[in-house]
Amino acid sequence: MTEQYRSRFRALTDGSDAPPGADHHIFIGPQHPWCEEPAHFIIHLKGERVVEADIRIGFNLRGIEKAMENKTWRQNTMLIPRACGICSAVHQNVYVRLVDKLAGVEDQISERARLIRMFSLEAERIHSHILWYGILAHDAGFDTMLHITWRDREIIMDIVEDFSGNRVNPALMLPGGVKRDIPKEKADRAQPMLDKLIKQVEYHKKVFTEEASIRNRLEDVGILTKEDAKKVTPNGPTGRGSGLPFDVRKATPYELYDKIDWNLVYYNEGDILATTLVRLDETLESLQICKQVLDQLESTQGELLARVKQKIPEGSYFARGEAPRGEDVHYGIADGTDKPERYKIRAPSLGNIDATLKRMDGEYVADMPVILRSYDPCFSCTNRVMIINEVTGEKMILNQDEFARKAIKAKKYNRPFF
Amino acid sequence: MSDVLKELEGILNVTLPGNLVEEVIKVEEGHFNVMSNVTNAFELMKILREDAGIYHLSTISGVEKDDEFNVCYHIQHRIEDEFREVPINLIITKIDKNKPKSPSMLEFFVAADYYEREIYDFYGIYFENHPFLQRLILPERWPDDVKPMLKEYGWEQIKEITMKITKEGLEEAKQ
Repeated sequence: MTEQYRSRFRALTDGSDAPPGADHHIFIGPQHPWCEEPAHFIIHLKGERVVEADIRIGFNLRGIEKAMENKTWRQNTMLIPRACGICSAVHQNVYVRLVDKLAGVEDQISERARLIRMFSLEAERIHSHILWYGILAHDAGFDTMLHITWRDREIIMDIVEDFSGNRVNPALMLPGGVKRDIPKEKADRAQPMLDKLIKQVEYHKKVFTEEASIRNRLEDVGILTKEDAKKVTPNGPTGRGSGLPFDVRKATPYELYDKIDWNLVYYNEGDILATTLVRLDETLESLQICKQVLDQLESTQGELLARVKQKIPEGSYFARGEAPRGEDVHYGIADGTDKPERYKIRAPSLGNIDATLKRMDGEYVADMPVILRSYDPCFSCTNRVMIINEVTGEKMILNQDEFARKAIKAKKYNRPFF
Repeated sequence: MSDVLKELEGILNVTLPGNLVEEVIKVEEGHFNVMSNVTNAFELMKILREDAGIYHLSTISGVEKDDEFNVCYHIQHRIEDEFREVPINLIITKIDKNKPKSPSMLEFFVAADYYEREIYDFYGIYFENHPFLQRLILPERWPDDVKPMLKEYGWEQIKEITMKITKEGLEEAKQ
């Protein structure tokens, strides 16, 4: 199996250990915080086609796992959302479910607390997906769509802020339940806003499927077939776009996902359009779930917080949750004290890097922004590119603007890039 | 134990030889912990990958016990018709603390590469037959002999090393 993935094992990432046939090497990255996927991509090209791609990660290790071993379980509840900027609620949810299980209080958590947790999770999925396809449109050169989607995203951000006090880090959950209630007047205020957002997302879907200028950038680009997907094991929307119908919410239901009416979304095409449609359809599904949850909250009463002791009994548990980007995995070991013995976090994007590298094989360099974006990396490093001319050894470091200008000039006046 | 093993064998539709498996624990409905020691783990994984057809590896975690290391492979058995997954934690026990060595599962899972290199970084466990076991996560200046997730390194020590290598980097940048 390893021969197929030779790119992984190139010792020198400066291009000197390049694959045979490659004549240019593009370096993208590396500087950006971990939650926003710190990655250094090296793309080896032959002409305009990608021969091989490689990645280096680990430029901003924050040591959250080590820090967690030095803090109590209670303190960690507020440290864990910081593992990721956008999927903060899902990290907290997986953590509190793990602690609930280890402490043995999972039966005592009321339905109302579970519904509030679910609302927070789904609201996060909505704003994360809208953010993602907005930036995808921007990468494909369709900035109008970026502004339209981000304008509409404010609706759900306002709801989250109203319910939790924060825009992106709601931090509503605690081991044993939730911190805050969603009162009836706030739920009533949110319902018409959700209706409005459903209409807007339906319009977004119409644009992505019917507008030729964006559809042509995404259709049949970066195809990942089901057979390849089984080898490189992507998770979340990346896998569901390639015909792997697995969602943790359906696969091993948690909270009340088995009691709420929702559909699993998956497509078999495997191109970037398929992953986009997965996310668009999921946004609509999540909006439906949010509306159902608010309806059910009216008739469901219960204690918000069950008592959890400071000391967690000995044991280990492996908990998973469906983050907007895929499968979020935590593994915790308790030793009977108030601090964890070991806590392991695997954020979803790390599992999707293989699939993204596989997608790049044989594609045009012009499609790279779209393919790199496909696994939702919060990729803050695309604004710095270094280009090396292999013949003269000349180096240029450009930001995104300069790169675009140079490319346009080269094309317009039919001049070489260097 | 044998009941749980039989249940797991029924779900996977294979026979797991008794000498390869140390213990099987049912965590909850459809969620299993399988213990195996370091000499048998590769054979067991081969059965799980090739006969049972498990292809999804969620992650690998390294665990430091008092007198040994454990490496835990979190794999998912996927039942596609029912959209269902059965999480299995394959825990490899009895990894010698003085000379930590464990078989690499890269042959079965492409994704194992990053996770194994991460554990090599953090715990210093050497994965046999891994073709490119090099640093993945830790910074380039990080001292080779310091494995930060080990219990012997406290939070303060890690902070000191981090400050030291940051200062070195800044000084080098000034020159």
